[in-house]
Amino acid sequence: MYEEEIRALSVKLLDEVEGVIGYSWGTLPFRARPFLCQKKEDVTHLVFNHFCGSNLARYLLSGELKEKKIAILAKACDARAITVLIREGQVKRENLVIVGIPCYGMVDRKKLEERFGPLQPQDFEWHLDSLTFKGENLSIGPFLEATCQRCLHPNPPLYDHLIGQEVTYIPRKRWNNDALTKLDMVSREERWAFFAGEFEKCIRCYACRNSCPLCYCKECFAEMQRPYWLSGAATPSENLFFHVGRSLHMAGRCVECGACERACPVDIPIALLPCKVEELIRGNFDFEAGIDPDKEPPLLTYRENDPGEFIR
Amino acid sequence: MVNEDRWEPKIVAFLCHWCSYAGADLAGVSRIQYPPNVRVIRVPCSGAVNPLYILRALREGADGVLVSGCHPGDCHYLSGNYFARRKFFLLKELLSWLGIEEERVQFSWVSASEGQRFAQVVQDVVESVKRIGPSRKMVKEFLLHV
Repeated sequence: MYEEEIRALSVKLLDEVEGVIGYSWGTLPFRARPFLCQKKEDVTHLVFNHFCGSNLARYLLSGELKEKKIAILAKACDARAITVLIREGQVKRENLVIVGIPCYGMVDRKKLEERFGPLQPQDFEWHLDSLTFKGENLSIGPFLEATCQRCLHPNPPLYDHLIGQEVTYIPRKRWNNDALTKLDMVSREERWAFFAGEFEKCIRCYACRNSCPLCYCKECFAEMQRPYWLSGAATPSENLFFHVGRSLHMAGRCVECGACERACPVDIPIALLPCKVEELIRGNFDFEAGIDPDKEPPLLTYRENDPGEFIR
Repeated sequence: MVNEDRWEPKIVAFLCHWCSYAGADLAGVSRIQYPPNVRVIRVPCSGAVNPLYILRALREGADGVLVSGCHPGDCHYLSGNYFARRKFFLLKELLSWLGIEEERVQFSWVSASEGQRFAQVVQDVVESVKRIGPSRKMVKEFLLHV
């Protein structure tokens, strides 16, 4: 999708920037990987498709790129993460050329495998919001990643160039398959049983943290020696501490891109926690991360009539 | 193992220096009786209570945590408790959504003149934690077996 446009624009942009951060195909089918394009002859490697999940804003924080003028491909959540990074003083707006891409959602390979068995790339044809499997046309909705099915902002809020046409629907309303709402409906005991089982699986590899575009603390509380919040042992109680602690650190900052969930090697739906916190913030503090750069983040401000009934 | 018959809850209380700690002090000098289950930690302001303190207390074996500060509008630092209220709201909602008992983490506003009220709050907190029994879900694993 959009590849001609992306490549043509990248050639133009490479005159003024030192590199374009985008995606190229990975070594395995149905996987794209981040790609830093620095030469005009390399633009043919740039691709964009339904497997470009990784949040590229993460790569703006790497030491060598931080002070350079860089162009970056930004889906809606990448652009929101960039907005938060600018707001937090981590990157400079004048160093960035943001190439916005309206996003129809990223496809979860596991959901494809569940439905179609072993996958062959030649069996599939991809369109914006549908796919063709051996001639049969199917909606893309059921195969999207959980965070994409509950997406509220398919169009980037911040960009210099926009590729393609804006998405005209709100994915959460159209796909009507919000994992969080489903969990909200079960009893507290069932939810605990679910989460206890999930946290037991965590091996504390910190892939979630490392893939998160907004987890950029030089020293993470998980590895701090003073205070020694928690050890590296992957026991259920420590895992719970880590994930709850991380969700609270992300409060009012998480852009719900699902990078953590995608990176998890043991398939824990980790994004549920920060997404729940964002949902609380949306409902009670009227704030969404990365949409309006001038709005005060929710934990740096207050209102006198904030919810307080829980306090005696 | 916890002996269920003789079990008494351990409550960690983070009290702000300017209001609740002074309120606890007033309860003391007024000789007001309240349950001895509470372990007081004095903090400069309820806004200085990092949610990680609360999680850590629970992980180290506290059966309940009480955080208490000045009434809204009375903060010595003008707005510390307003910021605290937002953080605590998110922590409390998230924990209870995950399935942790709501009584484990409690909050109150107690002013320096409310010795009687402090005693009552502690009484209520201890009673509610006694009702739900020893903490199991967030405690370090090896503490469950000693």
